[in-house]
Amino acid sequence: MGEGKVAQGIIKGIVKITIFLIIGFIGIYLLKGILPPAEDGYRQFPLLGSRVWVWIVAQLHLNFAAFVLGVPIFAVAMEFLGWRRKDERLDRIAYDFAKLFTLAYTITAILGTVLMVSLPILYPKFVDYMIKILGPTWWVYIAFMYGEVFFCYLYFYSWHKMQDRKGLHILMGVMLNVLGTLLLLVPNAWIGFMTTPGGVTETGELVSRWGAINTYMWIPLTLHRLVANVVFGAGLGAAYAAYRFITAKTQEEKAYYDWMGYISSMIAIGFLVILPPIGYLLGVEIYAFNEQMGIQLMGGFYAWLWVMQAILIGAILLFVNYYLWVSLNKMPGGERYFRYVKFLFIVVMLGYAVWLTPHSVALSLEEARRIGAYHPILGKLGVMAAKNTAVTISFLATFLSYEIFRLSNKEPTVSWAGFGKFLRVLLMFGSSAVLIGLGVYSYMVPAVVRVKIISPIQFGIFFLAIIAIYVLDSLMYKNARTLGEPRWGQMPERSQYALIAMMVTFTWLMGLMGYIRSGGRQHWHIYGIMKDTSPEAYLPTHGFASLVVSAVTLIFFALVASLFWSIMKYEKLGGEKA
Amino acid sequence: MSGVLKLIIVVFLINAFFTYIGLYLLPQAESHPPKEIKIEEGITVEELVDIGKEIVFGKGQCMVCHPMKTETGMRAPAISSIGALMEKEAKERGISPEFHVFEALVAPGAYVAEGFENMMPPVHKPPIGLTEEELIAVAAYLQSQGSRVTISFPESLKILKEVLKKTGG
Repeated sequence: MGEGKVAQGIIKGIVKITIFLIIGFIGIYLLKGILPPAEDGYRQFPLLGSRVWVWIVAQLHLNFAAFVLGVPIFAVAMEFLGWRRKDERLDRIAYDFAKLFTLAYTITAILGTVLMVSLPILYPKFVDYMIKILGPTWWVYIAFMYGEVFFCYLYFYSWHKMQDRKGLHILMGVMLNVLGTLLLLVPNAWIGFMTTPGGVTETGELVSRWGAINTYMWIPLTLHRLVANVVFGAGLGAAYAAYRFITAKTQEEKAYYDWMGYISSMIAIGFLVILPPIGYLLGVEIYAFNEQMGIQLMGGFYAWLWVMQAILIGAILLFVNYYLWVSLNKMPGGERYFRYVKFLFIVVMLGYAVWLTPHSVALSLEEARRIGAYHPILGKLGVMAAKNTAVTISFLATFLSYEIFRLSNKEPTVSWAGFGKFLRVLLMFGSSAVLIGLGVYSYMVPAVVRVKIISPIQFGIFFLAIIAIYVLDSLMYKNARTLGEPRWGQMPERSQYALIAMMVTFTWLMGLMGYIRSGGRQHWHIYGIMKDTSPEAYLPTHGFASLVVSAVTLIFFALVASLFWSIMKYEKLGGEKA
Repeated sequence: MSGVLKLIIVVFLINAFFTYIGLYLLPQAESHPPKEIKIEEGITVEELVDIGKEIVFGKGQCMVCHPMKTETGMRAPAISSIGALMEKEAKERGISPEFHVFEALVAPGAYVAEGFENMMPPVHKPPIGLTEEELIAVAAYLQSQGSRVTISFPESLKILKEVLKKTGG
């Protein structure tokens, strides 16, 4: 691809974004002129109502934003690894991901434009106030957006041209990610202000703009979203690979997409493991801002939705474990480990059962009062002490599934292999015993000790255990005898449906958690500062919320399918255009 | 059946499964914003206590942190004995029980019950935002939990205003 094409690609991207922005501004101007004035600061969106409309558009925009911010992180990481290891497959996977996110930018921008028009038209009073407090950040957002688009298109269109200048090309990818992270910080400041406001008086007058930006939630939310974006992006990469595997015509294609699905899904799960402690940090900040908001979010009206969250994450772990267990079939020597699968299944299922045991089945405070602190039958089995233990043990079992798969076609040759294997078993069972012991002990201590001391220790032990096992295995399997190369592509089709199911569940989970986070403000646009006085200022039933989350997930997958189809169409035409 | 069709079915079925759980296995209720409660002059102590109870279990969101009965690891003092506890604390501090109860509601950090952390927000400010009348009703209900109710409406308004002035509320 020549320099002309690179410049052309960048200009195309910049022009596209500019057109969308202009359409947005003109749309706001025209609609404000055409529509009747907003009554009490609100306009109603036909049929769906304003809330559901904004909910769907915002969540879809967020899903695609997660995609275009998350995928570049590991695309660049793959390119870097491919460059250093001189592995062309890694370079190809990185390029495939670059194709995906470059194309996804257009959908993200279209959804962003719809949201940009919808908010000031449907919620003018709220938007006016937000602009008064955080107006200048909007221009910062636009500047970062242009910077990100510039580097995105530069990164993609210069891929082939800069094959012999990989270092510089990777640097462009790093710049793309730096701008993506900076971009992420801006809307997170808006959401942070809406949920945990700062920098204003009790009546909402601005005291410090920096205080309004740097709220309790700002950085933890950004960290959480950054990692979740990688999980989401990698999950989508795995879904793409599964789709290509299923539709592949040649064995060579099947082998490549099988490998791509494996790498992507393992990155997704690897980063998913980091999410609970970061989510914990986010929770701590919300509690620090307002203890009641924290408790309302965790155990009030939303108590049942956390059970739903457990169902979803547990399902993700089951899908991934199933994928890894099926994958043993393609590993020469993998059959040696079949007998352990049933035990891993039991552990994961037990962890799942404890995790989704409700703490209190109360939906309202009235119910909580009638029922008491614990479930009438399950008692204290559903409290966080048990759940934290179950979560860490389930993740530990999933890590073990991964290690078994990774090393199943190898036999260590080091003299201390026997001791190493014993040490691995000791680490696995020892850490599980300590995790369970701490879980039991945390029943006997005040909530504050459990939340602030024991839970972080449990997460710490879990991470120490997986790091120690990984390092031990790496040393033990250095120069290991290989029983044969993995037979990539020789996977039953059902394994690929597990990857698709994993991504559908990720998307559902993201929609659900977005709803809980947003609903934590209850009947406030800006918690404690600006009340939502619209007729829709109430929390809907869990069933209604589930319907909306499902609708968002289905629309998202329809859009993603069109994205995959476009890529395949261009490939068929022999082009690399995105 | 083609692979793509199977994929579409998988995506639909998983969504349908989660939606089914949300629709039919989870309890269904809406949560509406609380309404302001009006209290008329001449209300009896019993009526005031009843209104206070309604606020404690609803708009006030007190039960989010306070358990009804004493239990291990509780975040905040139990409601069923809070009147007695506050009467004892007021005696130890050498102030009137009314002042102590109102202060606990509008400036909870001024005196924190032994063994607990300072984590309660002033309930007359947003997001809870109880009115003066509602504060009096809540205070009366709290007193009724193990102590004699000395708070009444509108007589106790004077002490409440004094507390608000002293605590800067």
